[in-house]
Amino acid sequence: MAGAAVQPRDSAPARRPLPAWSEWAGTAVRLGLAVVWGWAGLAKIADPAEAAQAVRAYEILPEGLVKPIGYGLPFLELAFALLLVIGLGVRLVAGASALLLLTFVAGIASAWARGISIDCGCFGGGGHVDASQTEYLQEVLRDTGFLLLAGWLLWRPRTRLSADGWLAS
Amino acid sequence: MDVNAMSEKNREGKRTARERMLEQRAVEEATSRRRKKLIVGGAVLAVIVAAVATGVVVQNQRSKPETPTAAPAGTIGDKNLVVPVGASNAPSVLTVYEDPRCPACGIFEREFSATIDQLEDAGKIYTNAHVVSFIDRSLQGKGSKNGANALGCAQDAGHFRDFHDVLYRNQPDETNDAFGNKAVLLNLAKQVNGLDTPEFRACVNDNKYGGWVSAVQQDFDRSSYKSTPTVLLNGKPIYPKNGDEDITPANLVKWVDAANQGKPLGTAGSNGQTPAPTAAASEANNPSPAAG
Repeated sequence: MAGAAVQPRDSAPARRPLPAWSEWAGTAVRLGLAVVWGWAGLAKIADPAEAAQAVRAYEILPEGLVKPIGYGLPFLELAFALLLVIGLGVRLVAGASALLLLTFVAGIASAWARGISIDCGCFGGGGHVDASQTEYLQEVLRDTGFLLLAGWLLWRPRTRLSADGWLAS
Repeated sequence: MDVNAMSEKNREGKRTARERMLEQRAVEEATSRRRKKLIVGGAVLAVIVAAVATGVVVQNQRSKPETPTAAPAGTIGDKNLVVPVGASNAPSVLTVYEDPRCPACGIFEREFSATIDQLEDAGKIYTNAHVVSFIDRSLQGKGSKNGANALGCAQDAGHFRDFHDVLYRNQPDETNDAFGNKAVLLNLAKQVNGLDTPEFRACVNDNKYGGWVSAVQQDFDRSSYKSTPTVLLNGKPIYPKNGDEDITPANLVKWVDAANQGKPLGTAGSNGQTPAPTAAASEANNPSPAAG
């Protein structure tokens, strides 16, 4: 009698248990995206003027926003990397990552469509390049790949070795 | 009957108590989950805001000012970003934006430097040189910046034009960062009489005009010009074409003469010092013998 009554309570949180491999795969995806953000952020820090020019070259933002974005963006990326490494708020960070990546893709596509010749500045560098040196397609495809990583974590944010998992237990 | 009813009632009471307890626990768990979510969300937001705010402040402090604190002697313009070459009373001005590492600049210089030097020495033009340094950004390295700093040091010593011509004649491939090596720059400076001094070596080794180099580049970043070499004659772009005409040494002379028509020429005289090996023939036409 008591056993029968208790049973529904145990399954009440009704979280479909994920197979272990899926949570481990999620950990790999999470750390992979963390490496991407960490690398992207670090590469943009050395020369603030270069980071500002990478933003300016898109010819989208007004001059007043060029420096704040150029200076702040690498640290936003580093914050994402840090949060993904420790696995805190994974779904939230994955969503924010996806939004930022979509913004990047939109910016690159816009530069491509307007026929201006720039390096995306995704991993440092950036600014104007010779028309023959543009790599818009590769840059968009690369960001789309990163977008898939973020999408995975949005879909399955529960991963092994994460602060989220530790807080939930 | 009575007993049965009692036990029935008792069981009902027990069940509702358990149900109430379970319900309450479920509510508590939901509240706790929501609170945890809020705390995690708040922590995430706090980390992001703190990182971005710190970043903007730190990078703002680290960034080199757009107005340099020290500039090479004799530089002009409101921020002393421009190196003037030639007699300032010459009637036409040639404005040149070049990066020491830019291959198109090397090709331009090897074809045109002799002609430009001649035009300067004849008092027909003076040149406003903007030594930019952005190739390092896309190709990594320090060749643009170190080269630009060394050019600033040469300007300090009064040997800008000669060293400039020597650098472009000895320019490595774009992807080879030889100018990033200060020893290479110092070695090339030996080709310019009187430039290889302890003062010059210290200036190159200490990156004395690094702030100036950054300011010159930031000025170029804000300009509407996107590539090097950018060459303007009296403010009008003439590279690679002036209207329908391609730039050639002969056309450049023609355009300058046309622009100078009816105007008095500036003071003639050598603005260089050591005849350049490949420019020896044209240097021989100098109205005055090379000084020094």
